[in-house]
Amino acid sequence: MTTSSSPAPRTKTAVGNPRPSPQWWLTLAGAVLLVASAFLSWCYVPALLGDLSIDAYPGGLQMLMVIVGVIAIFFLVLRSGRMPSMDTLLDSARALKALSATAAGFMVLVALVIALQAPGLANANPGLFVGIVGAALMVAGSWQMASDPLVDPITVRLPSWVEILVIVVMMTIVLFGAAFALGQEDGTVFCLFLVFLGGVVTALARGGLFSWISVIAARHRQVLMMGALAVAFLFPFTQNGSDANMSIATQVLIFATTALGLNIVVGLAGLLDLGYIAFLGAGAYVSAMMSHSAFAHIGWKPPFIVVVVIGAIVSSILGLIIGSPTLRVSGDYLAIVTLAFGEIFRLTVNNLDGNNGPRLTNGPNGIPGIPDLEIGSFNFGDTHTILGIPLGRFANYYFLMLVVAAFIIMVFTRLNSSRIGRGWVAIREDEKAAEAMGVNTFGLKLFAFAGGAFLAGMAGTIKAHQDVSVTPDQYIFLESAFLLAAIVLGGMGSVAGVLVGATVLKLLPEKLRFVADYRLLIFGLLLVVMMRFRPEGLVPSQRRALEFHADDEDLADRIEEVHLEIAAEPDPAEAKA
Amino acid sequence: MSTQTLQPTAPAPRTFGAPVLEASGVVMRFGGLTAVNDVNLTVREGEIMGLIGPNGAGKTTFFNCLTGMYKPTEGEVKFLGTVLPPKPRSVVKAGMARTFQNIRLFGNMTALENVMVGRYCRTNAMALTSIIRGPKYRREEAESRRIAQEWLDFVGLGHTSEHLARNLPYGDQRRLEIARALATDPRLILLDEPTAGMNPKETEQAKDLIFRIRDKGLAVVVIEHDMRFIFSLCDRVHCLVRGETLIEGSPQEVQSDHRVIEAYIGQPDEDEEEMVAEAHAQDEAAPSTPAATDGRMKEDRA
Amino acid sequence: MDLFFQQLLNGLTLGSLYALIAVGYTVVYGIVQIINFAHGEVFMIGAFGAMATWTVLFQGNTSLWVLPLMIVGAVASSVVVAVLMERIAYRPLRHAPRLAPLITAIGISVFLQEAIRLFYPGAKSALPFPRIDVVTGTALTLGPLTVRRSAIFTIGSLIVCAALLWFFINRTKLGRGMLAVSQDKDTARLMGINVDRIIAVAFGLGAALAGVAGVAQGLQNNNIDFFMGFLAGLKAFTAAVLGGIGNVMGAVLGGLVLGVVEAMAVQFIPGTFGGSPWKDVWAFALLIIVLVFRPQGLLGARVVDRA
Repeated sequence: MTTSSSPAPRTKTAVGNPRPSPQWWLTLAGAVLLVASAFLSWCYVPALLGDLSIDAYPGGLQMLMVIVGVIAIFFLVLRSGRMPSMDTLLDSARALKALSATAAGFMVLVALVIALQAPGLANANPGLFVGIVGAALMVAGSWQMASDPLVDPITVRLPSWVEILVIVVMMTIVLFGAAFALGQEDGTVFCLFLVFLGGVVTALARGGLFSWISVIAARHRQVLMMGALAVAFLFPFTQNGSDANMSIATQVLIFATTALGLNIVVGLAGLLDLGYIAFLGAGAYVSAMMSHSAFAHIGWKPPFIVVVVIGAIVSSILGLIIGSPTLRVSGDYLAIVTLAFGEIFRLTVNNLDGNNGPRLTNGPNGIPGIPDLEIGSFNFGDTHTILGIPLGRFANYYFLMLVVAAFIIMVFTRLNSSRIGRGWVAIREDEKAAEAMGVNTFGLKLFAFAGGAFLAGMAGTIKAHQDVSVTPDQYIFLESAFLLAAIVLGGMGSVAGVLVGATVLKLLPEKLRFVADYRLLIFGLLLVVMMRFRPEGLVPSQRRALEFHADDEDLADRIEEVHLEIAAEPDPAEAKA
Repeated sequence: MSTQTLQPTAPAPRTFGAPVLEASGVVMRFGGLTAVNDVNLTVREGEIMGLIGPNGAGKTTFFNCLTGMYKPTEGEVKFLGTVLPPKPRSVVKAGMARTFQNIRLFGNMTALENVMVGRYCRTNAMALTSIIRGPKYRREEAESRRIAQEWLDFVGLGHTSEHLARNLPYGDQRRLEIARALATDPRLILLDEPTAGMNPKETEQAKDLIFRIRDKGLAVVVIEHDMRFIFSLCDRVHCLVRGETLIEGSPQEVQSDHRVIEAYIGQPDEDEEEMVAEAHAQDEAAPSTPAATDGRMKEDRA
Repeated sequence: MDLFFQQLLNGLTLGSLYALIAVGYTVVYGIVQIINFAHGEVFMIGAFGAMATWTVLFQGNTSLWVLPLMIVGAVASSVVVAVLMERIAYRPLRHAPRLAPLITAIGISVFLQEAIRLFYPGAKSALPFPRIDVVTGTALTLGPLTVRRSAIFTIGSLIVCAALLWFFINRTKLGRGMLAVSQDKDTARLMGINVDRIIAVAFGLGAALAGVAGVAQGLQNNNIDFFMGFLAGLKAFTAAVLGGIGNVMGAVLGGLVLGVVEAMAVQFIPGTFGGSPWKDVWAFALLIIVLVFRPQGLLGARVVDRA
């Protein structure tokens, strides 16, 4: 490992407390205790929290604490100065503080749950108290640790195989994390998992790992993409044919795919579309009306691939109609116009039942009984077994949606870094100036609407079959608001952001059944809070972050530095071109 | 770029090519207000035309009429012999580019990206080609990148190509705006106060840059308040007062016209008075005190 | 012809309701240039505030003197909600890109709807609004016309509110402060006007009228539900734009025009696309047409900076 371009690599001995200090030992003892406690029983009641009652066989929650402990030990080893180059990169003190707090909070919560649900702490086993003591020691030890000076991660170069390995490891963690999270049936366990996840992510972020990883990721974009795709592809194989989880995963994927399409309109072209769900609906209705459902009133039943094309085209024609006011309106007014169009779509499909207008959509009852897709001899309703792992109906749709999602991501990223993408950014920044520089502003905005609608229409044709029925109340304004929220939450104009946002918005309500009734309340609050404190989203694109923080000069400088650093690297793809 | 080039105070009489821009009888009214009244302007190939006038004389409004931002109430604007539709985009495509009085860069884009936006109207890659990225697309993209970089080098910003436009110093932002306009391959470039807010050294560089643009065969129209700058730069000067043409002629003619002096002295602002007086003084003496250009006016946007 | 006048009356009633809500959009826009899309929910809160007042204090009482107190309850609850909303959610976003307040508004809307649905007893379905003597009950007949008592209340409220509003804006110090702030915020601040307070007043003023509208709607419709603000808010917004957003008296006019157009459309559009199933479609179509072709409104108020 080498650190390049920093004039004098700082060695740790110059700063901080002499290692190994009593604090260091204290924290280490705590971490070891925490790990050890996981191999003891925490509780007499096997039914509680996924069975924590067996010695020497850690349950799921106990494994989480093993992970926390191991990460803490890793940071402690760093702190002992054994890996100087890594040490300057990561702030072990801040990471350890966050880890200790996570462990302590987690253990206290577990104790609380046992006290309330077992019921009574009398049901707790010594392991629990060992764990609590361990966490307490960690807190005590790490509390006073001083941070060390850090090297800016953009100046650090590791051999590229190390960097790629980091990405692969990260992706693997994501895969198993997702599989584990989805596997949790118990709401309490899932909540504790969220506490763990939030804590560890905070710890690693405070430790500086993520700013380093984001630099690596920017350097190895291709690897990252392939890795993410591989993880998504492998996911169904971790589910042992469980349809329940695959159903959720497919829902998430459809939602994310639609949100990605909307992100072209909102994130790239900067136009607010509050009626986007109508495009998904248009695709779904086209698909339903041309399916073999007994309630489909169109006689022509073309092959599915033709239906996809027709659905997408119908949808993009709607997009052109909805987009045409952009010639004259923009901003808030445009948002309202799109909202009105979305509502008109819903009311129209609600009305076209034969009594109020032609009989096409079957009115409020919608079109039920849409048969499963059949492409060639492959029926999406059947379970297929690959490598001994059964892949059920939802897994089939999942793979199909994955292809669509990959296609949309490709469209998104390629458009973003093309002439058209530059035009969109220019329009977002200063529409007048863009027009005066010869950018076809109206055409580009219209294209954003039509293109976004095309992709949503495509997704809709599949959704109709996956959902078995289409009804008008699947396409209410709130759904458009959800899509928009996925983008806002995740980060406008960034693919990763939308995926994160869509996952959070769809997965959490599914898993947190006991807050299901408060789902929308929390959703509303979340939007307000996000706009107040982090309007650019969780994983924003850099440009968008700048747009939301127009007067933050430090941020601008920082982003420029990263940009310059990465631009300075020879990019093989560029070199060829 | 050399900082102290020896430019003659008044360029030697030159001969010019065919007319590039012919504006005749341009009138622009906003409700009851006539901002531009019956203005004629002809700009020829290789010519630098100065457009001066006190505050609110309608210079920027006239610019907007020329570049399709406004549709003139009366009169017509011919560019290379044809009347253009009043759409900025068509005007740019036809070969007329502009800069803005208050810098309007795309701040969160890099310098190079800004200039590449200027290449937008000279490239054709549409959605499908951008997604498929065949060899033709890549050639076009590389080509616009190369040309954009060349223009950045031309204005002296080659080293800043990967910097965000908003992080550039003020003077560089002005030059970047010019590079962006040049990237549209114009035959005529209209500069709205290219030296506003610049220090004397930067002003001198700007002058040098404009001469180099002219030497590439472009026609240039410049709005400026800095009299010394205008009179030492332009081949012809057109003076607007209250939306009407006061005089058009060589710098010497305009400079010595008592109505021009009156138009400026008639303003209550003393700075302007000084400035005109100074411009005269400068004209006689050698350009030795470059510190006097600070007293400039701000024109409110029409 | 009788049908025409009957629909005209119905339209004016409906329009009065829209007008009362529309004032809130337009006043806030005039002052801070944001469109408070959560305003429809303020109207809904007003209706629930009135009902809560009645349930808690006068359960079972149908005398007329209860009505003013219900109105006070309605106005108080909607003003409190609106002012809090401004203080907590909108004020920090005053210099944010325009997208931010819009998304915040969606968040507030959803939040308020859900808060009522979950925490107001029995609000998961529509709740019957209290009957009050004199203003509800058998309709009056005026020649060929049937005049519902609640309609008289609604139209009367609009007249009274519009008069008070005019007086407030043009004759009081606070009102003139509002005019000043709407002209130029920074200059107004230099002149010693407390801009933050004026903005809060603008939100409160709109909310007060929306609260009255909430009562009117309750009396008219006989029941209220947590979702009533969505459609009413959108239509009132249309009315505000129709009248020229930022122009207070324009909002009143816009509301009346929209109400009459809607009533006529229901009655007089023939064929399968007429009648009440399509009436919201036509309302939304009108909204789009107004926004696209006459964004400056009928009275041509200031041109909205549409960036």
